[in-house]
Amino acid sequence: MNNFEPKIVAFVCNWCSYAGADKAGEQKLDYPANVKLIRVMCTGRVDPQFVMRAFRVGADGVMILGCHPGDCHYRNGNMKTLRRFRLFEKMLEQFGINRQRFFLDWVAAGEGKKFQEVTTEMTERVRNLGPLEIKGFVEREVG
Amino acid sequence: MSKADLKAGLFLCRCGANIADFVDLERVASVARNRDDVAFVKTHDFLCSVAGKEFLRETLENNIVDNVIIAACSPKMYEKAFQKTVSDAGMNFAKVSMANIREQCGWVTKDKEDATKKAQMLINAAIKRSAHNENLQQQSMDCLTDIIIIGGGIAGMESAIVAANAGRKVTIIEKEISLGGGIIKIEEIAPNMECAPCLLAPRLSAIKEHENITVVTNAEVTDLLGFFGNFTVKVKKKARYVDDSCIGCEACFEACPVSCASDFHLGMGARKAIYTAFPGSVPATAVIDRKQCLHFTDDSCDACVASCPFQSIDFDETDEELEFSGGAVIVATGYDNPDSSLVKHLGYGAIENVYTMPEFERIASSNGPTGGNIQSSNGGKPQSVAVIHCAGSLSKEGIPYCSGICCMTAFKVGEMVRKQSPEAVIYNIHDRLVCSGPQEQAFYQKQVDEGTNMLKVNSLSSIALKKKKEKIEVSADGITSVEVDMVVLSTGLVPAEGTEKLAEMIHADTNSAGFFKADHAILHETGTTVDGINAAGCCIDPCNSATAITRGFAAAGDAIAKLIPGRKLELEMMTAVIDEDICGGCKLCIAVCPYSAITFDPEKKVSVVNEVICRGCGTCAASCPSGAATAKHFTNDQLYAEIEGVLYE
Ligand code: FES
Repeated sequence: MNNFEPKIVAFVCNWCSYAGADKAGEQKLDYPANVKLIRVMCTGRVDPQFVMRAFRVGADGVMILGCHPGDCHYRNGNMKTLRRFRLFEKMLEQFGINRQRFFLDWVAAGEGKKFQEVTTEMTERVRNLGPLEIKGFVEREVG
Repeated sequence: MSKADLKAGLFLCRCGANIADFVDLERVASVARNRDDVAFVKTHDFLCSVAGKEFLRETLENNIVDNVIIAACSPKMYEKAFQKTVSDAGMNFAKVSMANIREQCGWVTKDKEDATKKAQMLINAAIKRSAHNENLQQQSMDCLTDIIIIGGGIAGMESAIVAANAGRKVTIIEKEISLGGGIIKIEEIAPNMECAPCLLAPRLSAIKEHENITVVTNAEVTDLLGFFGNFTVKVKKKARYVDDSCIGCEACFEACPVSCASDFHLGMGARKAIYTAFPGSVPATAVIDRKQCLHFTDDSCDACVASCPFQSIDFDETDEELEFSGGAVIVATGYDNPDSSLVKHLGYGAIENVYTMPEFERIASSNGPTGGNIQSSNGGKPQSVAVIHCAGSLSKEGIPYCSGICCMTAFKVGEMVRKQSPEAVIYNIHDRLVCSGPQEQAFYQKQVDEGTNMLKVNSLSSIALKKKKEKIEVSADGITSVEVDMVVLSTGLVPAEGTEKLAEMIHADTNSAGFFKADHAILHETGTTVDGINAAGCCIDPCNSATAITRGFAAAGDAIAKLIPGRKLELEMMTAVIDEDICGGCKLCIAVCPYSAITFDPEKKVSVVNEVICRGCGTCAASCPSGAATAKHFTNDQLYAEIEGVLYE
């Protein structure tokens, strides 16, 4: 019996993925309450430091969900995010954080079902990994 | 007041049973009441109703708080309305933070206990975030209300007339020597076989006479500066060597000894070194082709000068650099016909009497090289014609897409040939046909009823043409070969030459086919990806004349609705700002800004955001290594507080 309940923070862009989450709501597609959303105007706004802060203050997993390539409300913020976080993912290991605790994907405003799927899968993945214990040089402020 | 002393007023909405059934609001309320940072908690059945908003306003008028937290449905539903109510109560609208406890909590969480806990965390995050809320002020700026239109085809002309009739000064910049674009080379428009010159003539004369419209032809845009509300377009106007006292009387045409191929007739007819595109062109002024004119080539002729009754010829004229300002720009640069190399495999260029569709249009036009007489190269009337659909289209090597309009044009060939030779045999050789819409379908049926042979091939790539004495043999898998006097290759439309360059100059995106990318394919088809630069006609993607004109209407209507004389342009409030005391001048923000809204101040050695261009995506803030760039209403402090807020109390 695993009663570990992971804490997951999802950064979602206002135009697609936040609306995709609303869509999941309208369709009453349930997903684990472990996932809490933080709205930004565009995924381009997500500073790697936000993700690090989330891990430091208690998140066991972090997601970034934005518009599909070509659909970003601000031309190509999502592509900049993709590039920024491909590098960031590699660095995560150095901080002693398993890469699987971080997840970047695209969810359109109409994709309530996909929103339900990615958040459910993420929760399961992180649940299996267990609580985040940072062993690297990044201290956890809150556990 | 320190952040710790700030107090928020919390409003919980039951949304009838829509939230109350899924979240234990009594518990949420009683826990929140114990918080030091919460002044009061109020619950309402329907906060979005008239009575609910009244309740919100009155409560805020009677209880002074620093921030307002509304835990209800998605902010996408009523955030704007609540912001308005809060400002009616005398607070800044940016002091409202919403917690989405319906769509993103109650409705998606199976267990009420879990949903209640999640709602508490979302509210906690909103309260913590609100401690960092700052007032936002609506900014506005004076704007120019004139319109600049690049491209004087049917779409650009429509935009010009719409805007000019609304009292705006309009400048049309056209690269050709006169207005008309693609449609001017066409006689009739399928499927209704409307007379194209008859549609155009009243528009051309409206433009010619309109006091609000300036037409600059033979001109090319060299740069575009500025932003929505204040653009400057730089233009190079090429010398015409004929001044505008010319009325296009054509007396000089007789006098000119040079004869050369006419580009207006796609090389099929001749013109003089001094010429107009066609009689009645706007402007009527003739132009001298410097490469052909003997005065310029060897200084041996000035026959036109003597023949001109108006002394209009001016060999000393030079190119001019001009500048135009306007609040909005409309790009209406149209399309091009594909390069002939795309249809070489169909005998084009090698076999006589094989024409592309645009060439056929010229041959069939009353202002064309044969005066509208459809004839073969030997001068005879073709008694059999094969039209090959999708020539050069739907293939990797050619145009990968369907242009959507060419089937109708292809059917037109039979219609027009039969008008001149009723007994002529017509074959429309195709793989797929596109006839969407009742009129289109009826036009197809009419061709079938009138005897056109619709021949379906198994594959476009199997179509082959062979010269057979005076005739052309067309064969393909799936059909019996036919022998005809003339073949017309129905080609598609490609982006106008220079589209890519222009897009780069104005910082607009293009789509995968190379046309201007729409701001939104459904919601704003006639907008480019740059604020204040709209697009009309075929430069967005291939369309028929009706759509081109409608897009012209839409592009102009949108521009004039946003730029109103005497009214200021309201700007995005949640823009980025760069603190010049912190900025290290690394220019990373300049590199990532999708709108080129950030420039470098070389004196202060800092980056500066132009808040008129900035749309507030926040990408610069995420990239700034020193924390100098920040996105208003999505500041680092606000987001850090929210991150912490969703994770722990
Ligand atoms: S707006 Fe959705 S990723 Fe940019």
